[in-house]
Amino acid sequence: MAHNRRGITRREFLRNTSMAAGAVSLGGLAPTLVQAGQAAEPKLGARLIGKLEGPEIIRDVAKFPKTFKEAPMLAELVKAGKLPPVEKRLPEPTDLMVIKPLKEIGKYGGRWRRGFTGPADTENGNRIVSTDKLLMWDYTGNKAAPSLVKDWRQSDDGKVTVIFLRKGLKWSDGEPFTANDFVFWYNDIYQNKELVPTPIPELQINGKPGRLYARDDYTVVFEFPEPYFLFVDILAGDTLIGGGQATGMARAVFMGGYAPAHYLKQFLPKYSSADEVQRKAKAAGFDSWVSYFRNRTNWALNTDLPVLGPWRTVGPINTPTWAMERNPYYWAVDTAGNQLPYIDRLVMGLAENLEVLNLRAIAGEYDLQERHISLSKLPVFVENQKRGNYSIHLDTSQSGCDAGMLINTAYEADPEIAKWLTNRDFRRALSLGIDRNQLNEAFWLGIGTPGSTAPAEDVAINPGKEYRKKWAVLDVKQANALLDKIGLTKKDSEGYRLRTDGKGRVRIELMSVGGQFIPYTQVGEMIRQQWVKIGIDADVKETERSLAFTKTANAEHHVMFWTVGGSENLYLFPRHVLPVDPAECHLGMPFARWYASNGTQGKKPTNPEMLRAFDLYRSASGKKEAERTKIAREIWKILVEECWVIGTVGLSPAFMGVRIVKNNMGNIPERQTNAQHVRTPNTSHPATFFFKS
Amino acid sequence: MTEPAARPVPPVEEETAAASTAAEERISVATQWQLMWWRFRKHRVAMVSTVVVLLFYLVVIFADLLAYADPLASEAQRSLLPPQRIHWYDRGRFAPHVYGLTGVRDPMTFKRVYTPDPNKKIPIRFLVRGFEYRLFGLIPMSLHLLGVEGTTPEESLFLLGTDEQGRDLWSRLMYGTQTSLIIGLVGVSLSLILGVFLGGISGLYGGVLDTIIQRLIEILRSIPTIPLWMGLAAALPNDWTVIQVYFAITIIISLIGWTELARVVRGRFLSLRQEDFVMAAELSGCGQMRIIFTHLVPSFLSHIIAATTLAIPAMIISETSLSFLGLGLRPPAISWGVLLQQAQNIQALAISPWLLIPSIPVIIIILAFNFMGDGLRDAADPYGH
Amino acid sequence: MLAYLVRRLILAILTMWAVSVLSFIVIQLPPGDYITSYIAQMSSSGSGVSAEEANALRQQYGLDQPQYIQYIRWMKMVLQGNFGMALEYGRPVAEVIGDRIYLTMVVSVAAIIFTWCAALPIGIYSAVRQYSMGDYLATFIGFIGLAVPSFMLALILMYFGFTLFNANIGGLFSDEFAEAPWTLAKLWDLTKHLPLPALILGLAGTAQLIRIMRANLLDELGKPYVVTARARGLSEARLIIKYPVRVALNPFASTIGYLLPYVVSGSIIVSLVLSLPTVGPLLLKSLVAQDMFLAGTIVLLLGVMTVIGTFISDLLLMWIDPRIRFEGKQ
Repeated sequence: MAHNRRGITRREFLRNTSMAAGAVSLGGLAPTLVQAGQAAEPKLGARLIGKLEGPEIIRDVAKFPKTFKEAPMLAELVKAGKLPPVEKRLPEPTDLMVIKPLKEIGKYGGRWRRGFTGPADTENGNRIVSTDKLLMWDYTGNKAAPSLVKDWRQSDDGKVTVIFLRKGLKWSDGEPFTANDFVFWYNDIYQNKELVPTPIPELQINGKPGRLYARDDYTVVFEFPEPYFLFVDILAGDTLIGGGQATGMARAVFMGGYAPAHYLKQFLPKYSSADEVQRKAKAAGFDSWVSYFRNRTNWALNTDLPVLGPWRTVGPINTPTWAMERNPYYWAVDTAGNQLPYIDRLVMGLAENLEVLNLRAIAGEYDLQERHISLSKLPVFVENQKRGNYSIHLDTSQSGCDAGMLINTAYEADPEIAKWLTNRDFRRALSLGIDRNQLNEAFWLGIGTPGSTAPAEDVAINPGKEYRKKWAVLDVKQANALLDKIGLTKKDSEGYRLRTDGKGRVRIELMSVGGQFIPYTQVGEMIRQQWVKIGIDADVKETERSLAFTKTANAEHHVMFWTVGGSENLYLFPRHVLPVDPAECHLGMPFARWYASNGTQGKKPTNPEMLRAFDLYRSASGKKEAERTKIAREIWKILVEECWVIGTVGLSPAFMGVRIVKNNMGNIPERQTNAQHVRTPNTSHPATFFFKS
Repeated sequence: MTEPAARPVPPVEEETAAASTAAEERISVATQWQLMWWRFRKHRVAMVSTVVVLLFYLVVIFADLLAYADPLASEAQRSLLPPQRIHWYDRGRFAPHVYGLTGVRDPMTFKRVYTPDPNKKIPIRFLVRGFEYRLFGLIPMSLHLLGVEGTTPEESLFLLGTDEQGRDLWSRLMYGTQTSLIIGLVGVSLSLILGVFLGGISGLYGGVLDTIIQRLIEILRSIPTIPLWMGLAAALPNDWTVIQVYFAITIIISLIGWTELARVVRGRFLSLRQEDFVMAAELSGCGQMRIIFTHLVPSFLSHIIAATTLAIPAMIISETSLSFLGLGLRPPAISWGVLLQQAQNIQALAISPWLLIPSIPVIIIILAFNFMGDGLRDAADPYGH
Repeated sequence: MLAYLVRRLILAILTMWAVSVLSFIVIQLPPGDYITSYIAQMSSSGSGVSAEEANALRQQYGLDQPQYIQYIRWMKMVLQGNFGMALEYGRPVAEVIGDRIYLTMVVSVAAIIFTWCAALPIGIYSAVRQYSMGDYLATFIGFIGLAVPSFMLALILMYFGFTLFNANIGGLFSDEFAEAPWTLAKLWDLTKHLPLPALILGLAGTAQLIRIMRANLLDELGKPYVVTARARGLSEARLIIKYPVRVALNPFASTIGYLLPYVVSGSIIVSLVLSLPTVGPLLLKSLVAQDMFLAGTIVLLLGVMTVIGTFISDLLLMWIDPRIRFEGKQ
């Protein structure tokens, strides 16, 4: 689904209306905020928001290239006898991944410079090599597409998912990649209690575990006792099973679904002895074979680890430079038969703080950088475009809200406040008292979209256009009416509503974390001023990040500011809008525990709508896609109506959406899907980027 | 205070001798404080600095009066306004006024652009009624030094520009000055009490007590301050009010400062202990307390004052550093640290440099305190040049 | 004197032990642990951590044990020379710190050199020409360093370095040399990058040094031997440099001991702003991440350095000033 936002006349029209809309006279006239021209389309920033596009994967074998070429740096190694010729390195000719580059066939060579912030910034590189996921998404982010595996099939009853590997695909050290790598992972890593203490929910349906086995060398079967249609999405998304080896092992605990058996065997006690692996670990400076194994399976730390992505690490991430070099056995080619990637090396320089990183980007020291770039610096980026020789692309996210107010519906400490936080009309009134246009103008440079938390309109599970503004407009009159209706009628001399238990004002604590991409504390400050008109007092408390997470884990907070990113693919990442994941829950941790433990732990919600949402959510894994989408829409309707998360401004490039690209780079999409499940920029196939000069 | 030595005076210098004897007599009968004052006066820079400091503390007392706009009133349409130009003459008459502004976000540069309208003249008035406040936290008032006619200052007067949320920087700076200087003063007082008390015990009694306190000082000085701050700040209960956090921060800062003062006090005590007049007091049967407070303390009080004055700038810098680390006062509180933290980024430097203006009073007051302290210290030491 | 030495040594060791306990407490004070921090960080960067992962990690790192046990474990390791694993880096702490310690020393020494080169002349000048216009001007310049918040100055200079002079933005090496092995060219590149950090870090200390130099020199200049030397016809310049200045420098010798840890501690924030690959940003990040071994070791290291430094300073002072030695003998 391409979105055409280009068109000169349209741009000019938008520009004129936005100038008229944004102009307000100061001094002498009462400032009335003009709302004309701010309906549904993006106004400001339109000229930097291009058409959504991405390279096409050729599936028709008849169109596959017959002859192949390779990068000069590899050709030299082949001549010296250090590498087999390209035909031997690629998978069998019918099992290749053939990518039609977005604009043109590229040139080999070049060094892609980026900035990273330290050894915790693995995502910076993980996402770029995410074609090592079993499945991925197409460039719209809506349809699953093959990545590492050639194809997949799901049985009619949804209990069996089969994946077909590419014959002849090899690891980066030349060893063949087969179903054995899956079996090895499943039997020797996943089932090893010392490595994976608890089985993961993704490999279970309704609490019952599935199993993995190989049908032959190139076919792997996932079998479940009950229908599990969602499993395909799970394989395609950013999940424990579907995340791919790079992400699965670097970030998580030994996940990804497969592992290089031939290399990792030496580090497991099963294949030598407990003493042997312990000795090896101690010799390397680790205190146990498990922590050594963690190090060995991390592609960003261990340069010897065989990988499957387009680039492999040659200079580890825990040094000032994280350097990557092309994988000579990468299994994708372009339509002319050139083995990908085009770019030889990827070099990330350490920037200890974000100002330095952004300044280096402004100086043109990075070739393509979307991570850690701050939207509030956009004017400075625009000013320096010529000098830095780069262009700016704004990738608006699919997430409806960058700075959501996540309400702790399980709050208990103060019964009066608990009464109000669990009252739907109260939450709706709070939402109606927010002037989102003000927030948009001050913190999103007017580029975001004010509204509820509902995902973008072009996302399949969007509940409907009318849900953007539901309970998410400024309506002070209705807000006051709602608050009066629920009984908060008494006010003090300054107009703040008083608690019904006589203990002073109704005061809501807004917890924020500093130093994020949206200044949550400042958003809170503005909202606090706006709520004066509806008589609600608020206390903005900026809290240190891990302290804030500790508090929300104990459900001690009233409201927490956080993004709802990820919720645009509800089944893969619901945690920011639905309290179902006990790893991180700001909406009511006891409820998440109750859901995840199937009622044995935590607390059962009393809100019938939340229980309904839980039931719908639980039923979805076993339903086919069309049905699932309907269910997700239903859940989203509940979410918007219930206002457990009050949305402010979203659908913006604030999170990894400001993309700085040097002008000499080719095959760069105008706009790419900016969402968590697609592992942005993976859908643009970074292997097809190249340097024109 | 030495006695003028009796010397035969040559007759030629009788007149000047008479004059100098008179001066010497004045010196000999002057109190310690008068002597200090006369020496202090000679240090011109210190005098100027003292005046500056007093002016700043006037701001502390009258912050509400000097601010003209509600420091919390946000309005996105006034976001990042540059400082306004005051026009002093209107058609030949002295009538200070500013122009009304129209603001719009340029879709090409993404900056907000404000165009003044020469036809909309907004007169500035003095001593006007504006937003309400409580003087000293008690007396409700609404008088402000500056205001405008025909509209509210929040909408039209922006002497130092506005911040990202459209809040007037001048007014916020007034409140920021108030907060930061009070923290400085309170923090230093706490340091002073701790320092004098512990340093005094250390110097006076010596022995085991001295060793323990010295070791405590050494331990505290060995721990790098930043982890200490982070640990202490993180230990603060999160449900404290802004005021409580405010004072907790000052206590944390003062916990570092006291070691320096204690060292000075101890040093002074140690050297004074040997002095003749102390021995005389002991011999004539004075109790310990009397010795300390009547005899010892006055001798080094001047040094303590000097050391204290020199400690205040460190307090102020600590407050700004804590804010930088996210540990000090946080918004919506207003202090120099908070204001500087919001200017500590590229876009402030490149697009809205007026946000850096709060660093100027910081620099001035620190210099002023330093020179004032230098002057006090020079004056307090009668044997120096 | 030996008794004095032994006494000081024992006290120093006791102090170091107390520093270790305090370091541990200070690191552990914030609620939560490395895993909480890790979860928060992952969420903040657009990913998520599952509950299973969190549990497994917690068990693996031994973070589920009571505090005092963790402290004892840590102390045992430290005394064996094993500083533990830096959780975020996945490398031994000794390696992580070791990488940066040389650069930290280089930057600190550069800052100290700058401070001395700036402060001593100003201090001498203002003592000799007390209360003159030059005195005021010189001290004013020296004090600017004290008055301007260093992190702000760092950002401003870095930004204008880039916009006006196309200078490298932060860091200590240019792009080409960052991954390159150590060569003479790389050394030269490092030297080219040192002035800015040295300036900003050194500026803060100049005021203090000017003051001390000035006070000491003023004391010396009043002494009789100066008058004698002047009367004997020695030129003013020679007179000042040869005698009073050297005596005035004596107290500095004694401060050399803890100068290094002092500069390192004071440079943490500026190093972060300028993105220098030194120990400062490492400490800050490890504190935020609650990476216990890394943060604890750095704090301990700095603390121990200070204690040792003070000890050395005391020794030096004792050696320089015979009065203390004699006092000890009596």
